[in-house]
Amino acid sequence: MRSRGNLPDPATLLTRMVGQQATRPALLADDLKLVEDVLRKDRKATAEFVETYAGAVYAYLRRRLPPRQDLVEDLVQEVFLAAWRSLSQFRGSASLRVWLLGIARHKVEDFYRDRLRQPESYDEDAHRESDAELVMDGHMEGTELEQRVQAILAELPQPYSLVLLWRYWEKRSAREMAAQTGRTEKAIERLLARAREQFKKRWNDA
Amino acid sequence: MPDFSPDDAAFERLAESERESSAQSAPSRLKARVFSALQLAQAGSGPLRSVSETMRDGRKLCVFEDLVRIAPIGERIKSWNPCRVCHARILGEAFENPPVFWPNCPYVMFKGPKRS
Repeated sequence: MRSRGNLPDPATLLTRMVGQQATRPALLADDLKLVEDVLRKDRKATAEFVETYAGAVYAYLRRRLPPRQDLVEDLVQEVFLAAWRSLSQFRGSASLRVWLLGIARHKVEDFYRDRLRQPESYDEDAHRESDAELVMDGHMEGTELEQRVQAILAELPQPYSLVLLWRYWEKRSAREMAAQTGRTEKAIERLLARAREQFKKRWNDA
Repeated sequence: MPDFSPDDAAFERLAESERESSAQSAPSRLKARVFSALQLAQAGSGPLRSVSETMRDGRKLCVFEDLVRIAPIGERIKSWNPCRVCHARILGEAFENPPVFWPNCPYVMFKGPKRS
């Protein structure tokens, strides 16, 4: 059967899928072996643990925190130290990568919660969201897009960048954010509206 | 005010496109720092695995670890962390792509593939 365009033919796809299913238990066995060695405080295993997973944790945190290198790096270290403290609880029900990113997610939410707990003064005029749309340049993608987004988030007051990250990158609703911060849902929605407005203004003006 | 904005789709696309584009490599300096912090945390709850046992498990030692392994000292000393006093750690934590090159050193491994 011939393939269409760049896609492999169905027989090849099926072979790959079966192969992936067969290697999944092997990957989890590797994870369990690595965890066992790290728990025995084998220095080489610990180095392998960092080398293998630091990239994924770093990339995850970079996308979800204000673009401050020191902040991101501190949190990467906190994730790995938290992982060490709870590593004996790893059972292999998910991959070690997924487990670590789960810890990273908790750290990110702790960060958002701590910084968005402070009350804000409410400006009636500032909360109205304009009708202006976010003008997306269809030619911008990849690293250029990421850099532009990060640059604008860096310019925004921290509560605005954090509430946008929490809403759209972490996909939390206003209700969930309100529950975690002790603020009302309306207060979170007003903050989101102001944040979107400020982001759009900078994005469309650039 | 509802938890819905006409801009939701655009912001969600931004978040998704960033997710797809982000690279996955951490700076070597950060990996070095994290590794050192982990070793400190591990040592805080008792001795590390000795270099002799590490080698018996089939893992390779750097030249300094091997010196510790063959030295006529007790196993307790061989469980000590020689990286604490090694300049590879100092350079690894301070510099990106530090000038350390000996085999089987974690701070060399964190530099990533050799650049041509």
